[in-house]
Parts: sequence; structure tokens; C-alpha cells
Amino acid sequence: MGIFLDRLFAGTTAGSLYVLIALALVVVFRSSSTINFAQGEFALFTSYLAWWCTTKGVPLLVAMAVAMVVGFGMGVLTERLLIRPVRRRSETAVLIVGLGMFTALNGADGWIWGPDDKIFPHLLPNGVDDYLEIGGGRLHYDSIGVVLLMVAVVAAMTLLFNRTPLGLQMRAVATNPESAALSGVRVGRVLSLSWGISSALGAFAGVLAVPALPPNQLNLASFFPILIFAAAAALLGGLDSVKGAVIGGLSVGLGLSMINGYATFLGGSLQLTLAFVIIVLVLVVRPTGIFGARRIERV
Amino acid sequence: MTAASVNDPPRAKESPVPQPERDRRPWVIRRNSAPHLGLLAAGLIVVALAIAWGAGLGQFNQGQLSRVMIYAIAIVGLNVATGYTGLVSVGHSAFFGLGAYTTGVLVVRYGWQAEYTIPVALVLCFLVGLIVGLPAIRIRGLYLAMVTLAFGIAFPEVVARFENLTGGAQGLTIRLRLLRPPDWSGFALSQRGQWLYWMCVVLLLVIMLVVHNIVRSRYGLALVATRDNEIAASASGVNIALVKMMAFGVSGAITGVGGCLFAIYLGSLVAHDSFTLLNAVALLIGLVIGGQATRFGPIIGALAVVYIPYYTSDIGQGQAAAVLFGVVLIAIVFVAPEGVVGGFFRLLRKFLVVVPSTPPPVPPAEKGRSRVQP
Repeated sequence: MGIFLDRLFAGTTAGSLYVLIALALVVVFRSSSTINFAQGEFALFTSYLAWWCTTKGVPLLVAMAVAMVVGFGMGVLTERLLIRPVRRRSETAVLIVGLGMFTALNGADGWIWGPDDKIFPHLLPNGVDDYLEIGGGRLHYDSIGVVLLMVAVVAAMTLLFNRTPLGLQMRAVATNPESAALSGVRVGRVLSLSWGISSALGAFAGVLAVPALPPNQLNLASFFPILIFAAAAALLGGLDSVKGAVIGGLSVGLGLSMINGYATFLGGSLQLTLAFVIIVLVLVVRPTGIFGARRIERV
Repeated sequence: MTAASVNDPPRAKESPVPQPERDRRPWVIRRNSAPHLGLLAAGLIVVALAIAWGAGLGQFNQGQLSRVMIYAIAIVGLNVATGYTGLVSVGHSAFFGLGAYTTGVLVVRYGWQAEYTIPVALVLCFLVGLIVGLPAIRIRGLYLAMVTLAFGIAFPEVVARFENLTGGAQGLTIRLRLLRPPDWSGFALSQRGQWLYWMCVVLLLVIMLVVHNIVRSRYGLALVATRDNEIAASASGVNIALVKMMAFGVSGAITGVGGCLFAIYLGSLVAHDSFTLLNAVALLIGLVIGGQATRFGPIIGALAVVYIPYYTSDIGQGQAAAVLFGVVLIAIVFVAPEGVVGGFFRLLRKFLVVVPSTPPPVPPAEKGRSRVQP
């Protein structure tokens, strides 16, 4: 029972972090029908930035704020300068620009901060004794914190989409950019803003995720797996659905934790392969995911 | 050199003509006419000279050239799926790695002669390519790229899982004496580099010829039609599902052959180093820089992929190449979407046009063999 609860808590924590990155993917996809392949590397860059700030004696909370502001700026600039000019041309062009950002950012991080592993400070208490004992399982405080923060972010995003003028404009642009433009929505500004929000969200998630997910350190490959898990989560839930990102993220986190724990014949080491299988199955069986509304064009 | 001097006459011939509209007119030659055959022959001579020059190089530089050809083979493979069929793959490092590990495992664990593992890898990578191409039947574009991305990221993990075969995270070392050239080749163990070089030359030429013929065949037309307009292609009787899966299979198989040669070249395989996502992106970068859906783009791309990191390894903690590749990739999308070779041929067509001698239309790319190879 205790081991089961341990796995449940660990899966929920990891799942909550996948939810956050999946949300970042969803925010971009909702407005511009594009997957931002460099999402993970944006978060990597801002995580390095936050780490660098803390080594200069800046408190982690402030460093996180800096990372989010910089992330927002990166998102806005990328959309305005790199994505928008090629969007109309082809999907492949957008994809290649994304991969260019991916490579360049990864290289830039290594260039500026070096390729060795960095110890990343914890935002939430994670001492050896910081846990609640529930039915033999250990529920760590930082797990509770991550889940609560995830819930808060999801609530904020839901409010943003459903209760604010900006959210209304975003939904209008997502549904029909031409009609939105004719109704006076400044489509370009909305797109830039959603890329900015998405990258700021990624920066927030990065600061939480790096110390919480294995290998618990910051290195140049930190966000490859996180991007894949988050993409699996977003595709599972439906790429244009906030609700889908939450359900998808938690399912992926919990599912992997349980499969790793109980399916011992897999040796506990095939997490990414499982995520790959999830992605393929979702796309082949139900390309819109569980909650996705947008119909994917087929032949 | 030879190509340039052959290329000069058209400009020399045109420049004295005063009228501007005559000036802009390119030099038109017929296919299989004397000048056309002359250009082709000049091209072949340049290629032969380049190969002979490479054969005489010292060990290190020759190794670098072999590496270029290995990457060129891998990129030619990627070109089949991504360039001609429009299925962007961000996971071809996995095929490259699968080929390399097929060679490594068969040589180290089962005592095979390294060269004879190549057909095995070809078939294996073809089959895996078919499976990875399976989702391509229903999805495309970004979604397919996502699938291949996950494939590429998952590969090192799978290698680590089958530790007793692949050596896991420690990697797999192929001892030097296992890589002895076969007796019939006439090379001794100390001439391993020469043997690898000639193997790369022959395989690259054969594979380029095969791809050239595929692309010019009915099947190649189906690939391009699928890329340009799936619905129209389907309406014209192209079996989209089959074409996409086959494209992935062939593409994976060719890249896998590159992987085999890579294993022979390197002698030690570490999946977490050599076959990561960044490696897959490097292949894609090579293709985009060289020019998608061009016959000679992969060679230019491979030169860039091998030599740029080599010359920039001192800058920026060895990361300058990645930054440069990223920037160049974005710049190419904006400035020259057809890549270096595509741009070169577009420029060339202002000066030189090859028209068919008989009615059936033939792409004019044939004549270019001469000028790209060196």
C-alpha cells in the first residue's frame, strides 16, 4: 500500500509538471495551429537563466520572475520575427524554424553556461523530513506544492480564456482569424501574446520541473524527455484543450509511474519509448485526442 | 576547375551581344548533343579526380572525407522521405543508430565480417522504417514530425535497455582486429582507412544512382505528387498510404547503411553520444542547407555537417556549431528555401538550359553532376 501511494504521489507530481508544459503547447496551438518544437528549449534557456541568477545571490523567486519575463519576451519576439513571416508559406517552414530555434538555443545555453550538470535550487521545501505520512506512503511537501501551483495555473488559464476580453479575442483568433480580424481583433498582437504567455508558462514550469524530475539537475538534455512527455500528454488530451492538457498530463505522469513500478519486465527504463507509443497510438487511433475539437485534416 | 572552364563559353559567347534581351537569354543545349555530353564527361572527370585526390590523402583527412560520405549517405536517405515525399523526419538518428548497432552487435557478439552486416542492416532499417511510416498514413506535417521526434529521442533508451547486446550506457567497442578488411579486398589491417574510403565511395555512388533512378521513375513521380498535393495525387491513382510507407522504408534503409559505415569508421558506439536528437537535427540541417529534393544537396550538406563543427570546435565550449547551425537553418528558410544546391541550379539556369532531344520531358538536373561534386 505504501509503495503504491508513493508511486501515486510521484506520478501525480510528475504529471502536474507535464500538465504545465502541455499547457504551454496548447496555448500556442490554440491560437496559431502550430506545435512549438522549441518549447522545451525555451524553458531550458530560462531555467539556465534562473540558475545563473541564483548563483549571483538573487532569491529564487525573483530569479523565476526574471525567467518568466525573459521567456515572455522570447515568445513574443519569436512569433513576431521568425514564425509570422513564414506561417503562410508552409507548415514545413514553421517546423524548420522551430528546429533552428531548438538547436540554436541548446547551443547557446552550452556556450554561455557550459555543458556540465548544474545543481538547481529547490523552490519548495524538500528536506528529508518534509513529508506527510499517509497510509504508509510519503507525501512530500514539494509534491503538494507542485500540484497546488499546477491547479492555480490551470485555474488562471481557464479564467484568462473564458472570462477576459483577451481570452475572448484569443478564442476568436483560434476559431477564425479572418472573422476575428474583421471584428476588430488585432490578430497579430493576439498571436504574439499567446506565444509570450506560453513561453512564460514554460519558464515557470521549467523552474519547478528541473529539481523535481530525474536527473534533478540542469543539463543541456534536460528538456528533451520533458518535451516528449508533455507532447504525449497534450496529444492525448487534445492539442487545443486546457482540460485535455490536465487530464493528459496527469494520465501520462501516473501511467508511466505505475507501469515503471509494476511492469518490471520493462526494466523501468523505457519511459520515453512508452511516450512514443502513446503518441503513435493517439495519432493513429484518435488524432484529435480525448477532448480535442479541431478536426485534423485527412486525406 | 574543369567544370568552370567548360562553363565559361556561354557567358563569353553572350557578352559581346549588345541587345539587353539577347543578353538575358541562356545558352540552350540539347540533351545528348556534343556539348551536353562534353559537360557530362567533364563532370565525370572532376568526380574521378576528386575521388583519386581523396585516396591519396593522409589518414586523418581521408577519415574526415569518409565521414563526409557517411553523412552524405545518411542525408541521401533522409532526402527520400523529407525532400522528395515531404515527410519531415526529426528522428533519422535512430535509423543511423540502428544501422550502426546492427553492424556493431553482429561483429562483436556473433563474429561477423563487418562488411557483410550491411545487407542485414538495410533490411532491418527498411522494416523499421515501414513501421515508423505507418502513422504517416493518417497524419502529416507537424504531427508526423512529433512522432519521428519521439522515435529519435526514445532510441538511446531502447539501446540502453538491451544492455547485454548493445553494451548499454557504457557503449559498444568494436576491437580493431574485428574490422580487418576481407581477404578478397587485398587491403591489410593497417590499410583499414583506405578500405573504408573506397567502400564509402562505391556505396555513395551506388546509392545516389539508385535514388536518382527512383526519383526519375514512376515511383518518384508518385513521391513528389504526394508531397505537392496529396488529394490530387490520390485522385490520380497514387496509393498514398503505400507511397508514404515505402518512402519511409527506403529512406530508413539508406540512412541505416550510413550507420553501418559509421560503426566501421568509429569502432565504438555510444548511443547517448552519437545517436541523439541533436544528431537527427544535424542530418536535417545538412539536408536543408544542401537543398531538399536535390540530388547533390546531401553532399554539400554533409560537408557542412562534418567540417563546420570541426573548424568551430574551439569556439564557445564546442557549442558554436550548434548555434551556427540553428541560425543558418532559420536564415535558409528566409533567404534560400531551396538550399545551396537548389539556389545554384536556379542561378545556373539563367545561363544554361538543357532541352530534351526527343519529346519526353526530362529534368535538367542531369547536367549539374559536374559542378557540385568537388
